[in-house]
Amino acid sequence: MSKPVNRTVLAVGAAIAAALLGVLSMGLGQDPQRIDSPLVGKPAPEFTLRTVSGGNAFGPAKFRGKPVVVNFWATWCRPCWDEHPTLTQAARTLGDRVQFIGVVFQDEESKIQSFLEQRGAGYPTVVDERGKTAIAYGVGGIPETFFLDATGRIVAKHDGPLSPEQLNEYVTKAMNP
Amino acid sequence: MTRKPAAVILSRGDREGSQTTQPVAQAMVLRIRRSFAALRRLRMTGLCRASLGSLVILVLACGLAAQPDAGVPDAKQVVGAPLEAPLTGDALLLRTQEVAAAIRCPVCQGLSIADSPSEMAINMKSQVRDLLARGYTREQIETYFERSYGQFVLLRPKFEGVNVLVWILPIAALLAGVLVVANLLRRFQTMPEAPAMREREEADSQSDSPYLARVRRMVEEAKP
Repeated sequence: MSKPVNRTVLAVGAAIAAALLGVLSMGLGQDPQRIDSPLVGKPAPEFTLRTVSGGNAFGPAKFRGKPVVVNFWATWCRPCWDEHPTLTQAARTLGDRVQFIGVVFQDEESKIQSFLEQRGAGYPTVVDERGKTAIAYGVGGIPETFFLDATGRIVAKHDGPLSPEQLNEYVTKAMNP
Repeated sequence: MTRKPAAVILSRGDREGSQTTQPVAQAMVLRIRRSFAALRRLRMTGLCRASLGSLVILVLACGLAAQPDAGVPDAKQVVGAPLEAPLTGDALLLRTQEVAAAIRCPVCQGLSIADSPSEMAINMKSQVRDLLARGYTREQIETYFERSYGQFVLLRPKFEGVNVLVWILPIAALLAGVLVVANLLRRFQTMPEAPAMREREEADSQSDSPYLARVRRMVEEAKP
């Protein structure tokens, strides 16, 4: 003879299991490495950093009135090599309409200089001492690129290497927020 | 997206750790020592040397006071003025370790910035120390990093939104388990004797086995 099922225990168990499954399923299909930036839609953190070539220190604030593309990269990052031609080409094509800034992430200046000499520098690259700017922008891996509109507000963030199409899409968004 | 390989992180951390994590106070002590060495090289009277030495200390102390924002330049903009007294010495080191242990290293797999040897974690921990040395509270420091990384950066999720489930579910599961065990124990205590056992005992008592009869007699005799 089978025992009667305790419905209260069954209901409580089912509720707990459902809640747990609900929480776990929220993470399904998401890249665990990806960090959604809470900075999108907010003013970009200010920075004033000196350039690799020894030029005057500057930051995005200097270019208020036009969109700015801030790209965090390093020479030890292979995907950064892949996207470098895309960024330099876009910087040349867009000219004065959009400002590109490369921010060096945990790298040595000599390596950066040699890299830029070999592969070309289409825009200024600045040195981030002690990673202050990377931390302020919430960088969790490179390449990471932030797109600022003319007012200095972050309109988009891209993780990973940019294709020309993606870059064009983000820049259009930054130009017409 | 690329994260620096562990080997690279470790080698860079080892090579540059002393440079990137050198506290401001340590650098200041070095500068004072160098200044005094320079003074010793000058031919001056004791009084003159003491006066000049005091002046050097004063100038360097002013320099130290003028650069508290060097580590985290935008902290005041993000979280306002510090709410506690600045920490120094061992209290600062202990508190830094405590606060850093609750902040996730963004370039690592589930490690806090207190445990990770990566350059990013070292830089973030250095910022934690700077902020504590300026009197910022744990909540202010967590808010500062949360501004850039969101709640991802907190190893201890806040009690709000969906996070409430993370806090409540384990307690609810524990309570449910306790209820189930208590219920089972209560049932075992009130359960009647198994019929099969009782029937066998009755059958044994009615049996005319001489062996059983002898055992029963011995048991009866042994009773006080």
